[in-house]
Amino acid sequence: MSALDIRGLRKDFGGVSALRGVTFSVEPGEVFGYLGPNGAGKTTTLRIILGLVRPTAGSASLFGIDSTVPASRADIGFLPGDLRLYGDMTAAATLDFFARFRPAKPPTLRTMLASALNLDAATLARRVKFLSHGTRQKLGLIVAMQHDPALVLLDEPTNGLDPLVQHAFRGLVADFAARGRSVLFSSHVLSEVEAVCKRVAILRQGEIVALETIEHLREKVVRKLTVRFHGEVPSGIGSVPGVARSEVRGGEAALWVQGDLNPVLRAIASANVEDVVFPEPQLEDIFMTYYEPGRRDA
Amino acid sequence: MLNIVRRQLERNWIFLLVVMLVLGGFEFLICAMVASVDVEGAFGQMTRFAPPFVRAMIEQNLMGGTPAGVLAFGWNHPVVHALLSAVAITLGARAIAGEVENGAIELTLAQPVSRARYFTAHLLFGASALSGVLATGLLGTAIGQQVFSLDAFGWKLALLFVNALLLQLAIYALTLLASALGREAGRVALAGVLVAVLSFLINAVATLWSKAEFAKPYSLHAYFDPRQLLVSGDLAPSSIAILAAVTAIATVAAFVRFSRRDLP
Repeated sequence: MSALDIRGLRKDFGGVSALRGVTFSVEPGEVFGYLGPNGAGKTTTLRIILGLVRPTAGSASLFGIDSTVPASRADIGFLPGDLRLYGDMTAAATLDFFARFRPAKPPTLRTMLASALNLDAATLARRVKFLSHGTRQKLGLIVAMQHDPALVLLDEPTNGLDPLVQHAFRGLVADFAARGRSVLFSSHVLSEVEAVCKRVAILRQGEIVALETIEHLREKVVRKLTVRFHGEVPSGIGSVPGVARSEVRGGEAALWVQGDLNPVLRAIASANVEDVVFPEPQLEDIFMTYYEPGRRDA
Repeated sequence: MLNIVRRQLERNWIFLLVVMLVLGGFEFLICAMVASVDVEGAFGQMTRFAPPFVRAMIEQNLMGGTPAGVLAFGWNHPVVHALLSAVAITLGARAIAGEVENGAIELTLAQPVSRARYFTAHLLFGASALSGVLATGLLGTAIGQQVFSLDAFGWKLALLFVNALLLQLAIYALTLLASALGREAGRVALAGVLVAVLSFLINAVATLWSKAEFAKPYSLHAYFDPRQLLVSGDLAPSSIAILAAVTAIATVAAFVRFSRRDLP
């Protein structure tokens, strides 16, 4: 049985379609990336899964139970993208408050999570309204995971976390999955999804445009490589295997590369190179891959 | 459900305690005032020189200025209505719109708790808080009567409790309906205040001005008559029925809307 199963989910807000037939599933022990730019419909999907928003069509189920039934949420955890907590409560009281909703699932991971995320007793004794954004985010992560849920839904979980804590968080997610727990990791940052997820769905304007393993995605993605040469750009560089498209301006070549990089590297290595810019793939690169005419099924 | 009730108590206890102390103290002071002056003599002097409408007001609201009439007026005083309605409106506005506005409802309802339980928890808390505040006010009256050796109302205070609670529950339920429809506690509270103030004013004007009497049935406050309750011991079944019906209809409508709306 899937931890999460979504079938033909559609949501219209007035005349605007936020989701258009979204279908995917998350298996036990899987860390699943849900990737898309802001406004793509990620948060709406999560809210439907949690029964906060009613779908116009389609269904979502958690461990085989329809997500509109409150019992479906008994063994899940959730971190909202825009985390809002009661400012007048202390951090410790906040953790207790949310833990009390699940008397059968005590917060066994709280101490370990607080330690991994550097939340000490003094911080836990402070009122939430006096905590920094990053500390609140850590608190939200503990709320989501303290009861060791079978599935945790994380909406932009690294938002506001410093790099060290982000690293610790990735370790926690990996450990979670290793113990057979599932994670739905929603984000607009490709690199962080790449770092923790095995499989990813890419959402754009309410539609899933790709549902792939990370390895397949890496192979398919078209990335922009900019090379500045001393003198002329070598002729025929645009026709090297792996170069999907090229633009040459003076001594600079912009190459859109897909798959194996070696043929391109060999081609430019034979020339006198002044500079190379090859940034991390961005969401837009991926969307280009999936939206470029003739490449949608690449 | 108890978790949500407990949370509401943590959030509102200072506000409720202040209202309780002010209301109880106010009713106690009314007793002190009645005991310390010759009420009937004073009102007799006043009515002798007062214009007809003031005489009518004293006759209507203060039972001709008898001690029991003044004590009963102590339960129809604008300050008392303001205090009780402040509790009803604040709790009603915070229950849904307030939680939507501060965003905490998203994480709370993402827990294994149904909207029915969430709603019932707020309803329970609202009704309990109003009962507690009212009981404190009644205690102020009862203690005041004891301390100042005034004739005790006895069981009539129980009738007053039922009638006043139903009036405030009706205001709470109407605010809750606005809360289920809205996203901002401030606007919802404003709607609740408008309902309460209009209802109070319609009743006051219709009581004093015969030409406006036709409007009286449209006021919730017309179905709350402490003078009749405390002096004669009469509680009209129709008043109970109407206030209970308004409460029930508004509560059901609020629940239906809340259970169907997208959150936050």
